[in-house]
Amino acid sequence: MSSSISWVTSRNPDAGNVFAIAGVVIKEMYRRKDFYVLLTLIVVITLMLASVGIFNDDRIVRYIKDGCLLLIWLSSLVIAITTAARQIPAERESRTIFPLLAKPVGRGEFVVGKFLGCWLACGMALVAFYFFFGMVAASREHTLPFLAYFQAIWLHWMCLGIVVALVLLGSVVFTAPSSNATICFIVVLGIMFAGGHLNEIALEMRGFRGAVVYAIYYAIPHLEWYENVRELIIHNWGLIDWLYWGGATIYAALYMGLLLGCAWLVFQRRKLTL
Amino acid sequence: MIKWLMLLLFICCMSLATVLDPEFRKWRNGGNSSVGVLVALMGDSRRLFAHEFFAQADAYFHSGFYPTIFDRQKPGTESDLKEESRDKPEGAPEKEEESSFLGKPKDWIERFGRHFYPTVHTHLHGGNEREMLPWLKLSADLDPHELDAYLTASYWLRTSLNKPKEAEQFLREGQRANPDSYAIELELGRLYFYNYSNAPVARNIFLQGRQKWRKQDSAGAKPDPHAYEEILGEIVRADRAQGDLKQQLADMEELVKVAHSKDILQRQIDELKAKLTEPKP
Repeated sequence: MSSSISWVTSRNPDAGNVFAIAGVVIKEMYRRKDFYVLLTLIVVITLMLASVGIFNDDRIVRYIKDGCLLLIWLSSLVIAITTAARQIPAERESRTIFPLLAKPVGRGEFVVGKFLGCWLACGMALVAFYFFFGMVAASREHTLPFLAYFQAIWLHWMCLGIVVALVLLGSVVFTAPSSNATICFIVVLGIMFAGGHLNEIALEMRGFRGAVVYAIYYAIPHLEWYENVRELIIHNWGLIDWLYWGGATIYAALYMGLLLGCAWLVFQRRKLTL
Repeated sequence: MIKWLMLLLFICCMSLATVLDPEFRKWRNGGNSSVGVLVALMGDSRRLFAHEFFAQADAYFHSGFYPTIFDRQKPGTESDLKEESRDKPEGAPEKEEESSFLGKPKDWIERFGRHFYPTVHTHLHGGNEREMLPWLKLSADLDPHELDAYLTASYWLRTSLNKPKEAEQFLREGQRANPDSYAIELELGRLYFYNYSNAPVARNIFLQGRQKWRKQDSAGAKPDPHAYEEILGEIVRADRAQGDLKQQLADMEELVKVAHSKDILQRQIDELKAKLTEPKP
């Protein structure tokens, strides 16, 4: 085991290997039915919402955008979490991980390749989802704020990057993919719902418990920033300052790196047996 | 043999369902067959959702600048949608100075995060008020006794959206669900007076509203005194539009008993009395 670790750490990472693994993940996504089912659901539910006649006014659009974006967020989280959660356990279960790592592919390359594949697959799904969203919104509003949508899709993708990295870390810590997916879902939705308010809760608690909650507040990735952009899009608030958009991108990249680093460290120490 | 038995059981179940289902519906709806699927599915819990959907309309009115459940105890979170959805007297200030529930950011994460959601207190205008309507409609569908949903939707429909027919239709729905509501009569009367310019019909509706208010008052239900003043004020306006000075004087004398600005009204009454005693040329 120790010799394999030194072998992994001594060789340089190969981008070819990373992209080859990522390519397999992307192919897997478009072969599976998850994405198509979710896209169909989004289309059907959004068109149903749009078909509702409200006071004979066909210019009402924000509730449709709201519903559609909510579905897009939920669907993208489902795709990101379920795709990432099954990657490493599936390779181990089917024992394809052994020839793969014997190629030789380093464990770091393996983790990064899996991450990149899942993240790019999520990005492709997002492009399809937002394309439909843009068409629906433009059909009623008769405008297409391209840059605002670009910012929204980019920040959404960055958020999914953190989620994918978190799930990959979970998949090397937890034994079953189902438990990993469930825990990650709860953590991600919990952060989106209450993550931004933990500081207020901590201030109300005071003392040691308050300090612990404040520490959690600083430690967690603030996914709610990215999810909140939904409100800006629904209510046509215009562009986010590019400086803060860039800051959020760097913040997400740092968390992706951190979580992937942790996943790699845990995976490197994990004993793979037949 | 088992197959035939299963088939028989299936037929029995189907037959029983056709008998019990209408009875069950009647029992759940108290004999009112017009109550929809939502009632059957959600029961009384739908009222809770009705409030939430009204709050969602409020959030839309502020273009997403709205307190979360973590902010609701803070100052500055009071809803101003109901206040904004009322006819204001001429010359009243359009907007008071707004206070924000957000306060100052407590740390860099909060300061940074505020660039990703609405942080400015604004109200929908220029016809964009239509965006609230789906939530108000849903709120009223879920709880037909949610009067604010009818009143708010009707106000925006008949004012900035210029859809008095749709407003009337929605108010009539509210009237059927809330036959004792003076507030709906007041709104309906305003629709006839300001949008249809039909003062006689409007006056009759205001009178019905006054009657309903008094009925509730005598029953000890403590109806809103401000609404009573508004109803009497609208009756006086309808009198003025019809040119019925005697009736106007009688209604103004009734109004002056409950009005806040008694001095101005008393002066108007005096002027009216002088006008009535003037010899006709």
